[in-house]
Amino acid sequence: MKRKKLTALLLTAAMTASVLVGCGGGDAGESTETTGSPETEGGGSDETAGTSADGKEIIDFTMFIAMPGPEINDGNEIQEIIAQKTGVRVKETWLTGQTAAEAVGTIIAGGEYPDFIDGGDGQMALYDAGALVPWDDYLEKHPKLKEMYSDEEWDRFRQDDGKIYWANIFQNTYGEDKSTTHNDEAFWIQNKVLAWDNYPEIKTLDQYFDLLERYAEANPTMEDGTEVIPYTALCEDWRYFCIENAGQFLAGYPNDGSVIVNTDTMKIEDYNTSETTYRYFKKLNEEYNKGIVDKEFATQTYDEYIAKLSTGRVLGMCDQWWDFYATVNDVFKQQGLDLKGCNYVPLGLTIDEGMENMWHTYGDTQNLANGVAVTTSCKDPDAAFQFLEDCLDQEIHDLRFWGVEGVDYMVDDEGLYYRTEEQRMQWANKEYQASHRCVYSYMPQYLGTSRDGKNSMNPDQQTSEFFSALAQPLVDCFEAYGVSTYVEMIGSVNKETGPWFPMYSFSSNMTTETPGGVAWTKMGEVKHEWLPKVVMSNSFDSTWSEYMTAYEGCKPEDFLSEMQTELDRRVSLAQ
Amino acid sequence: MSRGKKQAKQKITWKEVKRQKVLLIWSALFVIYGFIFYYLPLGGWIMAFQNYKPKDGLFHSKWIGLDKFKFLFSDAAFIRVIRNTLAMGTINLVTSFIMAIVFAILLNEVKNVLGKKLVQTISYLPHFLSWIIVTGILHDALSSTGIVNELLQKFGIISSQINFFAHESYFWPIVAFANLWKETGWNAIIYLAAITAIDPSLYEAASIDGAGRWAKIRYITLPGIKPTIMILLLMNVGNVLNAGFEVQYILGNGLVQKVSQTIDIYVLNWGISQNDYSLGTAAGIFKSVVSIVLILIANRIAKRSGEESLF
Amino acid sequence: MKKKSLGDRIFEICNTIFMVAFVIITLYPVLNTLAISFNDGIDTVRGGIHLIPRKFTLQNYYTVLHKQNMVTGAYITVLRTVVGTFLALVTNALLAFIVSRKRFLFKSQLSLFWVITMYVNGGLIPTFLLYKNLHLTGTFWVYVIPGTVSAFNMLVLRTYMVGLPDSLEESAQLDGAGYMTIFVKIISPLCKPVYATVALFVAVGQWNSWFDAMLYNRMSDKYTTLQYELMKLLSSVMQQSGSADSARNSANSITPASIRAAATIATMLPIVCLYPFLQRYFVTGLTIGGVKE
Repeated sequence: MKRKKLTALLLTAAMTASVLVGCGGGDAGESTETTGSPETEGGGSDETAGTSADGKEIIDFTMFIAMPGPEINDGNEIQEIIAQKTGVRVKETWLTGQTAAEAVGTIIAGGEYPDFIDGGDGQMALYDAGALVPWDDYLEKHPKLKEMYSDEEWDRFRQDDGKIYWANIFQNTYGEDKSTTHNDEAFWIQNKVLAWDNYPEIKTLDQYFDLLERYAEANPTMEDGTEVIPYTALCEDWRYFCIENAGQFLAGYPNDGSVIVNTDTMKIEDYNTSETTYRYFKKLNEEYNKGIVDKEFATQTYDEYIAKLSTGRVLGMCDQWWDFYATVNDVFKQQGLDLKGCNYVPLGLTIDEGMENMWHTYGDTQNLANGVAVTTSCKDPDAAFQFLEDCLDQEIHDLRFWGVEGVDYMVDDEGLYYRTEEQRMQWANKEYQASHRCVYSYMPQYLGTSRDGKNSMNPDQQTSEFFSALAQPLVDCFEAYGVSTYVEMIGSVNKETGPWFPMYSFSSNMTTETPGGVAWTKMGEVKHEWLPKVVMSNSFDSTWSEYMTAYEGCKPEDFLSEMQTELDRRVSLAQ
Repeated sequence: MSRGKKQAKQKITWKEVKRQKVLLIWSALFVIYGFIFYYLPLGGWIMAFQNYKPKDGLFHSKWIGLDKFKFLFSDAAFIRVIRNTLAMGTINLVTSFIMAIVFAILLNEVKNVLGKKLVQTISYLPHFLSWIIVTGILHDALSSTGIVNELLQKFGIISSQINFFAHESYFWPIVAFANLWKETGWNAIIYLAAITAIDPSLYEAASIDGAGRWAKIRYITLPGIKPTIMILLLMNVGNVLNAGFEVQYILGNGLVQKVSQTIDIYVLNWGISQNDYSLGTAAGIFKSVVSIVLILIANRIAKRSGEESLF
Repeated sequence: MKKKSLGDRIFEICNTIFMVAFVIITLYPVLNTLAISFNDGIDTVRGGIHLIPRKFTLQNYYTVLHKQNMVTGAYITVLRTVVGTFLALVTNALLAFIVSRKRFLFKSQLSLFWVITMYVNGGLIPTFLLYKNLHLTGTFWVYVIPGTVSAFNMLVLRTYMVGLPDSLEESAQLDGAGYMTIFVKIISPLCKPVYATVALFVAVGQWNSWFDAMLYNRMSDKYTTLQYELMKLLSSVMQQSGSADSARNSANSITPASIRAAATIATMLPIVCLYPFLQRYFVTGLTIGGVKE
C-alpha cells in the first residue's frame, strides 16, 4: 500500500517537473547554466589551466572545422608543449554526420561562434553573417603569416568589401618543392604488368589497353587462381570522377575539373562533348565488350572497389591517388603483394601520341573558397592571430608534423630527420595519435623545404622516408624508366597554370539560384546515368547520341557561359 | 471533427467539466507542451516562401512567394521522385506490415517458451545494425559472385549471373527486402504485446468447442490484435512519403537512379548540398500536407466502417 | 490434453522450419558484424569475411573502448536512457489514459492534435533556435525533454488501454476513486506488457541517439553520449583512410568497417542484456486475472 502511494507521488512529481520545464525552459535550463562551465555554449576564450613558459596564463581557444577529422585527447602531449611555448591551446571540434553547410547554418542561427573556424562549403555564409574578423591589420604585424602568399595572391582572398577574412592553409610550398607522390588523378597500372612487358613506353590510351589485354591473355589468373580484372572504373556517387573527367587530361589539359580552359583563345570548352572524350568512351565501350572492363564497374560500391583493388586482381584503373592509395597500400603490405609487383604506378596518358600531358600540376593550387578564420566571438583576437603566426614558426611546425625529437624522429649527423621503423609504427598508431600527436591540421602550414634548408616541412615528403617505404619491384620499375619518384614517372610537363586555375573552385560552389547552377546539377545527374550506359552499350554510337540528346537537354550552355564570365573575371583580376 | 455514430458525443456541461477537472488540467499541460515542442518550430515553414540565408535569419530573408514550390513542381525529376517515393513507401508499408503480423502470430504459435524467446530475441537484433552494414551485406550477397547468384545457378534457375543492381526492375523489391530483413522482428514486438492482452480463457473455451489452430488464429488472435493493427496501419499510411533515404542512397547507382531516388535524396541533391534551406522546407511542407490529407481520409474510412480510428 | 491432429503436426513442422530459416537469415548480419569486429581491419578490406574472423584481433575493441570521453559518454547515455524512458513512459501513459477515457470531452480533438505532430517538422534551424531560447542547448535536458511525449507511443498505449474492460473504471468510480487513482492503481498494473513495449522503444531510441548530442552540445564534452563519441571516431577513421595525408609508411590496421563493427557490437550488448527483463512481459504474456470481476 505504502509503496504504491510513493510510486504515485513520484509519478506526479516527475510529470509536473517535466511539464513545467517544458513550458518555460525554466528551472532546469537556468540552473545548469549557472553550474555549467562557460565553454558549453560555443566557445569564448576562457583563460584557465596553467601557465606558459614565460609565466603568462595559457589561453584556451575553441575551433570548429567543417570537415571530419581525428579528435585528440585533452592533455595531449604535443598540444601541451605547444601551449607552453605559445601560450595557446586550441580545442578542435570536427564535423560529424552533417554537411558543412548544415553545421555552419546551425552555428550561425545560434549566433555564438568558436574562436577559430574553418567553415568548408559554408565559409561564405559565415562571412555574409558578419561572423569573421578581417585579417588586414593583423597581417602587417605578423610577417610569417604574410609570407605565405604574395601580395597578388593575398588580393585574391579579398571579399567584396575589400578585406581578407581567411586564407587557404594547405598546399603552400616553402622553398624547394619536395613532392614525390602524384597525389592526383592518373591512369594507374600495376608495376608487374609493366615489368612483364619489359617496361614499355606507354603514352596513349590505346597502348595502355593493348598492354592490359595482352597481359590478361597471358596471365588470366593470379597465383592463387583468382581471375584478374584488367580494368575497372568506379562510378559511385561523387566518386564517379573516376570515369567522368579523363577526357580533359587525355586532351592534355590540367584538372580544371568541370571545364577545359583553352589557353590560346581564353575560352571555356566543354570536355564532355569533345572528340577526345568521345574516343575515350568509345574505347571503354570496346574494351567492355571484349571483357577487359570489369562487368560490375557501374554498380560496385566504393568498399567493393577497394576490396577488389586490395586483392591485387585489378591491373589498372583511372583514379585519384588519395582515393585508393592509403588503404590498398596497407593491404598490399600486409599480404606481401607489394613484393609481387601489385603496387600501382601512374601513367601520363594522352589520346594521341606526341602530346604533352598535365595530369600533374606543379606548384601551389590556391583554394580561395575556405580556410581558417577568426570569429567575432573570439575575445582575444590579438592572441588568436599571434597563434596563427606561431604555427608557422619552424620549431612549432616541426612539433606538429614531425613530433618530438628523439621520441618521434631522429636526427642524423648531417642534420637530416628520419624515423626508425618503431617510430613510424608508433606515429601511425591511433591511440598514440590521440594522446601524443597534435597536428592542428587546419592551422597554417607548409609543404616543401624546412627553414634549415635540408629537411622537408612534412615528413611525407622527406626523400629518405619516401624511399625507405618503397617495395623492391617499385624501385626496379622507377629505375627502368630512369625516374625516382611518382611525379617523374607520370612525366607531366612543368608548365605554370594560369591564375584562374582551378576552375572547379567556382563550379563546385554553384547553386541552383543561377541557371548555370541548375544546368550544372542536371548535367551531373545525366552523366551519372548515361556514362555507364554508354560504356555498357551494344551499339555505342546510337547510345552516345541518346546521351548527347539528354545532355543537351540540361542546357549546358548556361553553365558554360557562367564559367566563361568567371574565367574572364579571374583573368582580369590577375592583370 | 468526429461524428462517431457508435457512441454519442459527450455534451460539454459544467457538471461534466467539473467531474473531469483533473483530466482537463493535465490535457491543458500536454497541449502547452505539444504546442511548444511540435507546433512552435513550424514557424520555420516560412523559410519555404523565402530565399533563406543564414545571415538574414528567419525574419529578414527575402520573400519569394511560391517560387520554390513552382521550381519543384515544374521539374520532371521531382515528379519522378514523388512516384518513386510513393511506390517504395507503399511496397514497404504493405510488405513490412504483413510480415510483422504473420511473424508475430506464427511466433505466438511456438509452444516451446525457450525457443520462442530465443527466436524473438534474435529476430529484433538486425534493428541495431546501421543501414550501411545491412546494405553492405546485401550488396555482397547480390553481387555476381554472391550467394544469391550462386544458388540460382546451382538450381539451374538462371544460366548466367544477374547483376541485380544494374536493372531498374529489381530495385524496389531489393529495398523492400532490406526493410523486411532489418525491421520485421522489431515491428512484430508491438503485436506480440497486443497478443498477450488476449484473454487466455478464450483459447481454452475455443479448444473445448473443438476449434482448430486456424480457427483460433482467425477468430481469436486476429480480432484480438485488430485495434493495434488498425492504429498502426493508419499511422503508417501517413508515412508512405517517408520511404527513406539511406537505403536508396547507398544501394542506388547511376544506372537505376530513375527509380531509386526518393524525395529526400532529391532534397539533398538540389537543396542541402547547395546551401538551399528553402527548397528542403518546401518539400517538407509538401510531404506534411500529403501525409495529413492521407491520414484524414484513412481515418474517415476507418471510422465509417466502425473500426478503430486515430482520432 | 487432446491428441494433436495431423494438420496441427504439419503446421508445427512448417512453423519450426519457417522460424529456423528466419533465425538464420536475421542472425547472419549480426554474426557477420561480430566476425568483422574481431578481424584485423586491413584484412577485412579484402572482403570475404563471413562468420569466422580470418585474422583475429582485439585491436578494434581496444580502439573503440580507449576513445577519449567513453566514460562520460557511457554515463550520460545510461542517464538519458533511464531518465528519458521513465519520463516518456509516465507522460505518454498519462496522456494515453486521458484520451482513452470514454467520457473525456475533448477526446478526438486532443488525439488529432497529437496525431498531426507525427507528420510535421519545423526543420533543423527553427528547432535549434527554439531549444536555444528555452535554454535547453548546452544542457542534459535537451536529450529528455523535447521528445518525451510522442504521438506514436501515446497511440500504442491508448490502443491497449481502450481494450481494457470499461467495468474497471466504473466500479472504481463507484468506490469513490478519482481519475489519478484509477490511472495509477487500476489501469497501469494491467498495462505492463504495453508499458514494457513502449519502454523498450524509448530506451532503444535514447540509447542509440547521437544527433542531438552533436547538434546541441557540440562544443562541449560534458554532455557527450556514447554513440556520439563513436560517430566521431568513425567519421575520423573514414576521413583518414581517404585523406591526402596518406603517404603512410607503416600499416595502421584501423579501418572504417572494422571500427563500425566493433562499435556496433559494443553498444548493442548492454541494451540486448536489458531485453530479457522486458521480454517476459510481451512474450510469455500474463494472465489478466481478476479483471473479469
